[in-house]
Amino acid sequence: MESLKNLQKEIYRCIHCKACRFAYSGEPDRQGIGEYQGRLYEGTLTGCPSGKEYGWEAYWNAGKVWIARAILEGNLRFSDEMADMLFKCPTCGNCEAQCENKISTVDVIEALRAAYIESGAPALAKHAGIRDSVNDPTMWNPYKEKQSDRTAWCDGKRKNLKNADVAFFVGCTASYRQKGIAKATQEILDKLGVNYTVITDEACCGSPLIRTGQVPIAKKVIEKNMKLFKPFKQVLFCCAGCYRTFRVDYPKVTGSKLPFEVKHTMEFASDLITEGKLKISKPFNMKVTWHDPCHLGRHVGKQIEKDILAGSNNWLSDQRKADQAKQEWYEKPRRVLKAIPNLQFVEMYRIKEDAWCCGSGGGVKSQYPELAIETAKERITEAQATGAQAIVTSCPFCYLNLSDGVKQMGSNMQVLELLEVLNKVI
Amino acid sequence: MSKKQEYNKVTPQVVKRIAGVVGEKYVTTSKPILYSYVSKGIMGLESCVADCVVRPKSVEEVQGVLRIATEESIPVTPAAGGLSGGFACPTIEPGGILMDLGEMNKIIEVDTDARYLVVEPGVRSGEIWAYMKKKYPGWAPPVPDGAPPAATILGDAIERGFSLVTGRYGPQADTVMGMEVVLATGDIVRTGSWALPGAKPFYKWGIGPDIGGLFLGSQGTMGVITKCAIKIMPHLEHKTVVAYGMDNPYDMQDLTLEVSKYEMGIADHCVMVQGGNWPLVMTRWPKERVPNGYEAYEKMGISKWWMNFEVWAWTKEELDFTVKKIDEVAKSYEERTGHKTPQWKLHPKQIASRLLKPNKIAIPYALWDAGFLFITWYTPWKDCGEFSEIYCQKMEEYGFPPVMWVASIDHAREAICMPIVCYDATSKESIEKVTKLNRETTEIFLDKGWLNYRPDPFVHAPLTFAKAREYHSLLRKIKKLLDPKGILHPGRLGLP
Repeated sequence: MESLKNLQKEIYRCIHCKACRFAYSGEPDRQGIGEYQGRLYEGTLTGCPSGKEYGWEAYWNAGKVWIARAILEGNLRFSDEMADMLFKCPTCGNCEAQCENKISTVDVIEALRAAYIESGAPALAKHAGIRDSVNDPTMWNPYKEKQSDRTAWCDGKRKNLKNADVAFFVGCTASYRQKGIAKATQEILDKLGVNYTVITDEACCGSPLIRTGQVPIAKKVIEKNMKLFKPFKQVLFCCAGCYRTFRVDYPKVTGSKLPFEVKHTMEFASDLITEGKLKISKPFNMKVTWHDPCHLGRHVGKQIEKDILAGSNNWLSDQRKADQAKQEWYEKPRRVLKAIPNLQFVEMYRIKEDAWCCGSGGGVKSQYPELAIETAKERITEAQATGAQAIVTSCPFCYLNLSDGVKQMGSNMQVLELLEVLNKVI
Repeated sequence: MSKKQEYNKVTPQVVKRIAGVVGEKYVTTSKPILYSYVSKGIMGLESCVADCVVRPKSVEEVQGVLRIATEESIPVTPAAGGLSGGFACPTIEPGGILMDLGEMNKIIEVDTDARYLVVEPGVRSGEIWAYMKKKYPGWAPPVPDGAPPAATILGDAIERGFSLVTGRYGPQADTVMGMEVVLATGDIVRTGSWALPGAKPFYKWGIGPDIGGLFLGSQGTMGVITKCAIKIMPHLEHKTVVAYGMDNPYDMQDLTLEVSKYEMGIADHCVMVQGGNWPLVMTRWPKERVPNGYEAYEKMGISKWWMNFEVWAWTKEELDFTVKKIDEVAKSYEERTGHKTPQWKLHPKQIASRLLKPNKIAIPYALWDAGFLFITWYTPWKDCGEFSEIYCQKMEEYGFPPVMWVASIDHAREAICMPIVCYDATSKESIEKVTKLNRETTEIFLDKGWLNYRPDPFVHAPLTFAKAREYHSLLRKIKKLLDPKGILHPGRLGLP
């Protein structure tokens, strides 16, 4: 309950205005891409996958904030019937992006989940499986795979190098399930001449545990990873979730700033392009659109804003600075795509801070696959409306869930991982 | 003294009956869901948890639920968008059924000759704005200005609210051309010309003495409005905003009145005329994270008080002419009174942001502390300066920042005055102060003949009706006729 109590002042700021239900809640005049399959992509649109799917107020963000208030006031106790309301949400953070009262809605939902588990309620079945697997020292991952196999995909000469400045944090999904992303990242770093290493003892970053309210176990892996990666100047990532967790959650959990710089490999490449140190000459002949992963886009964007405002005594003047910094962040993957010859880039309607979620975050993909797929289908339809041949993204979960959605829809849309595309053209 | 009405609780049998009407998926007694609908803020602090929530999808389902509620003597609170007070109709004791009308969200008709649209209760401002812009770009729906896109156009209209054209067209209730209302008995009535089967909603005063006014501002106590025909207005291409600064609310009042008397011309182009004082800028931010005194805002070029005139015109020439005339009036006012009313040179971005509709400008006032209330009043325009002065003084006496927003209704015939009370919702003491402030100012203002916009059931309604006993007595008789068992939002307007 402690984390929920710490958010009391923010929770009480909710006036139930419901702007959090929408994407572009402050841009009713926004020019869109017109009508596609009977849906108008103009102005303000629905932005909450959970609320859209289930309808009751408890499934929209504001309803959850008022549930939190009722719990803090002692009017409501955690109960089994609450599980669906708290966990059927991909914690995409669209609600937080819309909130004019700056309520950290993702933190509130995660704090509610943590308090729910603390109250003695059992973790949801799939989430308990993830917890037990991560908590097992022979595994340290949610997939029940052996720790000894974690870096089996990796070229041996890159493992555990003492003299490397940079560590590549691979993450569980790229290590065990989507090894192509890990390999592509390794090849990118090799081509760019980065002095990096892969740590074979790496453990789950803790993201699936924090998202599902199982914080004590998350703290164990966070402590372990902090010890392993402390010696490095920089840690690079290929997983949006791991990156978000290191950048946003680790400082909160440890109570101190990270002792190393963190960058997603997309960001690393984008910065090199901006500095003129990376020029891409190989063409990629395809019309593509970009799906902003919530963990890589909005969650980091909001953290950038929070960091700037935390150091400001005049938000009235510094909000603009924070907004500009956020916009710059959202441009980074777009800059990479636009630097690739022959690649035709088109935007979907709901993008950047207002992007529609793929549906797989917050423990939804494992526990509520039907919600995950329905959400993915909406994103794929939006991508189809642009005439793109492929959705490019850079998150193993978005990649997986959008790919599953494409299969279920029987769509011709391809789903591509940005790092794999980048590896092909540099 | 009338006998106190008695109500029954929602039992499992009642839920089963309601499920038979709307389907099991659309009725719930789940405690967390019930709590998720609670709201305390924006327009009132008092609300309670309903016994059950039902989401009807059609007029027939609304009829069915109301018939059951009447038979069983169970209170019903209808709500749709959930704005202007969390819910325009927050559930209050004795609880009962919260009827969430959000599922009924169809845009039924747009008639650009008779110039109205017909919508169901759940159609939100953001949706109708985007729809009209795409399908009927020459026509503007009168969406509420300042309320976020989640507000419903029907809710704003029937609550006699405020829209982007209120300065020109009057209170939002004036844009209502007809309503379809389901009474507590399940009977359906239509108002205006709509009362004649087959007639369009082209004439709001109907086929005889019109009963429409009984439902406007009734806060769900007289019937459930399931369709509404609302005027649409030409959406003109040429728009701008000009603003003038003042040192006090009386100059704001008097200059605005001078401009607004130019009806059938200048003032008709001023669709939205709204202003306020400098704390409106300050209290949009956390109090410890923004300069707290006027000095910093003065340096930014912000006057102590100001008034914006949003001008729409068919041509550039017409726009320029109107803006020039407003400026002439302001200069003439300065010369005659010796009071400074300089034009505030707005940056194009400031103009663009003021023209954005619907917008979120009224939302962030919870950042100052942890909660805010709009305790909104109607006054004759000529009284809005005095209202502002008294309320600002009272807010400061109670330890709240003196935040005031004022807008013209119908060429400044009336004023809508909205003090924004930024309080701390986590503090019992702060909440008590809000209640005391509200009671004290209500007593003062009723003596002056001013009216609360949406009377709350605990302070405004009882104090107002205590002064207007005959009117209230008649309302009670009418309520009895329309709602024999008094199930519709009992207590909200002092009506059982």
